Amino acid sequence: MIEKISENVMDKVSIDFLRDQVLKNAYGNDDTPIAALDPRVLLLWYLFFGLVPWFLNDVAVLLGMFAFTAITTRMARVAPLVLFVFALGVFSQTGYMFVASLLFGGDLSTLAPLLVLTLKVATVSLASITVFSGLDPDRLSCGLLWFGCPERLSFSISFAYRILPILMEELQNILLSYRMRGRAPEHDTVMGKIRWIVYQVKTIVQSFYPLMLNTAKRSRTTVEALELKGYRYASTNMKVLKIKLSTLHAGPREALFAAVSVAWAALCFAAPHILEVL
Amino acid sequence: MSTYAERGATGSQKLMVFVLSMSLYGLATLISELIPSVQIGIVELSVEFFLFIPLTLAMLFDPLSAALGAATGELVFSEIMLGQFGGLGELEKFLTVTIAVYLAGLMVRDPKNIKQVALAAISGPAIQLAMSAVVDIVKVQVAVDDFEAIPGLPESVFATEGFSFLNDLCFSGILFCLLPTIFLVPRLYGKIEPLLGCKPRTATDDAAPALSGRVVAWSVVGFAVAIAAACISKAGMSIIEWEADWAESQTAVLAGIAVAAVAALIIGFWARRSAQLKNA
Repeated sequence: MIEKISENVMDKVSIDFLRDQVLKNAYGNDDTPIAALDPRVLLLWYLFFGLVPWFLNDVAVLLGMFAFTAITTRMARVAPLVLFVFALGVFSQTGYMFVASLLFGGDLSTLAPLLVLTLKVATVSLASITVFSGLDPDRLSCGLLWFGCPERLSFSISFAYRILPILMEELQNILLSYRMRGRAPEHDTVMGKIRWIVYQVKTIVQSFYPLMLNTAKRSRTTVEALELKGYRYASTNMKVLKIKLSTLHAGPREALFAAVSVAWAALCFAAPHILEVL
Repeated sequence: MSTYAERGATGSQKLMVFVLSMSLYGLATLISELIPSVQIGIVELSVEFFLFIPLTLAMLFDPLSAALGAATGELVFSEIMLGQFGGLGELEKFLTVTIAVYLAGLMVRDPKNIKQVALAAISGPAIQLAMSAVVDIVKVQVAVDDFEAIPGLPESVFATEGFSFLNDLCFSGILFCLLPTIFLVPRLYGKIEPLLGCKPRTATDDAAPALSGRVVAWSVVGFAVAIAAACISKAGMSIIEWEADWAESQTAVLAGIAVAAVAALIIGFWARRSAQLKNA
């Protein structure tokens, strides 16, 4: 039974599937309301929704913030895989701890502080999903560059999205060729299962040998091409930055987004007192 | 003087090592983030430990570039691309990975000496795991109010963290760090360096950076920053008491001043940056 399920999962989670999802997440939703916003405004927005929840302890306030980030995540039309990873991450952060504290003699009263923690983690993660998955990588790196982030970070982001599909395909090809040449051990018995795992791990480690050599060649080509364009000097030159960042523009749409966010946040902070009065 | 350049530690070669380490480790962490871990009984055999890639690169090339590249790769590929970016928490991971890989890379003077390589390959994950376990415990302590008062929580946190430290070190550390690194370093030695246009690292290389008191001191500083990043919520909580006495005028005025100050700071920065770019 379990084997069947795991086989089923493994069928769906092929490298192709992962690649498609990541690419879809990066470039597939340029037309959402979130993606159209100025990256600088979104980064400032993230600075608030990514930091402030950590300082709060009121469930009502946190619930309000959580609802808002959930809406923005919906608006950003994030790929389902990302949401799945998010759910898994939130559970492994706190659900696991709840089960463990039950084992050590805790009871349901442990749940309340953990709920606060869960809400904090969930709100912050959703805010980051909105900003970092909702935005086009190039726009994101432009925004970071505008704020004076190290050029290497913004370069890494744009480069990562471009190189990732190539690297994934290459790793898959190498893995497949190893699998074709080798013969996987039978995994009916317990010993066989252990041997099978060892075999799989060995294959993965061995495939990094050619992959490392190939990537070394590729990174040399990349860096040399960058050097030809004067990358290391251009990245610190204000004139180049001016040309590069001239596409950024904050207008009425950004103002509306900021106004709605501020109003919602103010409402959240007022919520406990409104509830008290009622 | 020429040895340093000949060894290949020029700016562009450092960038190459950075790019290499970033893309490989980023790919590995992305995959391990998505593949569920294998559970054998109570022992979790997580694939999340692909640390052998930056370890190998740090032993063969400039350790600092490899370490920074690996940490950046993890940040960009598995956090930002998947939208798992956790703000300050990522700073902690970034710093611990950088310190661990850097120190492990510095421990190896001669990549052909298998004992040195093995020692460094197990020390790297040990350093990283120990640091992240400490940070995790501190983090839960500050994030959960009255941590000590909740029955069973302190013990369970210490137990889960301690267990996962030992488990990760014994299983992932040996299976995914020690063995692959011992396998890869001698095979790649002398083969991968020419591809980046460098000379292989040798034991008699004076120009190679060594493990010194300064490096250790900087690592301790980095670790302190990592803990501080995790702790900052605690400090914030005591400074800004949102719940208590909100209506009390003093707190409200102080909060108003804080908000206004932050807004002014942002607007000021925005204006300055725009002017800077316009006048360039």
